[in-house]
Amino acid sequence: MKTETHKVARLHALLWGIFSLGGMIAAFLLPVLIYLTAIAYPYSLWPFNGTKNPGFLITGHTLGALFLFVTVAGSLFHGIFRFQSVLTEVGLQKYRRGLEAVGYFIIFAGIIILGYYLATWYLNGTIT
Amino acid sequence: MGDTKQYPEIRKRLTPGWWTHNRRYANYMVREWTSLFVALYSLLIIYGLSLWFNGSETDFLNFLKNPAIIGFSIVALFFTMYHAVTWFYLLGAVAPVKIGRSHTKPWQALILNLVLLVIISYVAIWIAILR
Amino acid sequence: MSQDIATIRVTRYRPEKDSKPFVQEYKVPYRRDMVVLDALNYIKSQIDGSLTYRWSCRMGVCGSCGASVDGKPKLTCESFLHEFKGRTITVEPMPNFPVIKDLVVDMEDFMEKLVKIKPWIIREKESPVEEGEYKQSAKELERYSQFSSCINCMLCYAACPIYGLNEKFLGPAATALAYRYIDDSRDQGKDVRFPIVHEMEGAWECTLVGECSVVCPKGVDPMLAIQRTKILGATNAVKSLLMPRGGR
Repeated sequence: MKTETHKVARLHALLWGIFSLGGMIAAFLLPVLIYLTAIAYPYSLWPFNGTKNPGFLITGHTLGALFLFVTVAGSLFHGIFRFQSVLTEVGLQKYRRGLEAVGYFIIFAGIIILGYYLATWYLNGTIT
Repeated sequence: MGDTKQYPEIRKRLTPGWWTHNRRYANYMVREWTSLFVALYSLLIIYGLSLWFNGSETDFLNFLKNPAIIGFSIVALFFTMYHAVTWFYLLGAVAPVKIGRSHTKPWQALILNLVLLVIISYVAIWIAILR
Repeated sequence: MSQDIATIRVTRYRPEKDSKPFVQEYKVPYRRDMVVLDALNYIKSQIDGSLTYRWSCRMGVCGSCGASVDGKPKLTCESFLHEFKGRTITVEPMPNFPVIKDLVVDMEDFMEKLVKIKPWIIREKESPVEEGEYKQSAKELERYSQFSSCINCMLCYAACPIYGLNEKFLGPAATALAYRYIDDSRDQGKDVRFPIVHEMEGAWECTLVGECSVVCPKGVDPMLAIQRTKILGATNAVKSLLMPRGGR
């Protein structure tokens, strides 16, 4: 009888969980962020039809910065994780390992850089 | 077990263009490719914020007003909405709620979540901007 | 009297004669209540006895007659000719499987996967017969009963591009069957089955294409089972992170 060894992909399970959460974030929070930065602000539509601008997300209130962080970090994780699957499905299975390495590097670099900016701004009072 | 195979079996491997032969597979691929736009937009915002961090808030705002950035972002918005719609439908398909003797259908989850999206968007604007 | 005729285009492959498959056309008298299997049986008995295909119950319960009919994975016994546009119907072997001959595919990989997930009740300790049956309420039965409807027809594997791209993928039917046991209140085999469904080529390869559930003739909805398996896997991973020394 063949001896079977099955290794639970525990790390992948966790990453999948985060990807799912990211999917919720991308679905519920990303549309409004894109609306704010690419439609409301350039075309002076509500809520940017007065004096406020997207910078207010950072300088206005901590919750604004939190919203920005959660939306961007969650969407980035979700997008890259899923796009890696897409690439393996269109013929790049061979390069799976390499693609994963690059993908996770981009995710973590992006989130760390974003967190660093926001933390610095919080500490120096830019975020009120 | 394991008969010796004397004659060759035919094995057709899926080509990278496998999804082009079938409308349903093509829809699936478009759905998955929304992830690229979600990721790219996120990276764009981080880049814009880096302009602010290393320069001034005006640099960030000018970046947002760049026509190429606006153009890409609007395309990204279409794909993000497509992601949202298909995601809500999938939620309905993989998490049916039992009501009495029957189950909720995916299109019901889609409508409910779209309403939620509008509400959450308004709440987000209120908390982040209007407060 | 003019007879209504249907044209059946069948992919043939005779390994001892052909170096590659080819399409052969047959003309079959058409009746409104005919299914593709009827047409194949007519061809085999009246026109070309060498046509080779699997079938058995002819009523959609045995799972033998899977094929690709006009590009869709279907049971030939459940594919009425009148469902299809026009009178020309293409019948090919199920995709994603090696073809042995004509419409007959090699099922080895699928059979191995079925056995791999141990499709039987696993108990920590078997109760003696005198103690009676393991009782289960109607509500407990309802939790998994749709996943027990699988007739092993393999249409879901034929429809799944992920399986087509990666033969190691555990696949819809096997995962749904594993989940059928995981969610069975009488089963105590989670320790045995979780490592199988939660390894990389288990449920994680699935990207919710969803075609498996679309083509399933029995309404098993393997996509739902795989998704629930993924959720179990993610929950377990979080639990093992928070409570490394125990807790289930």
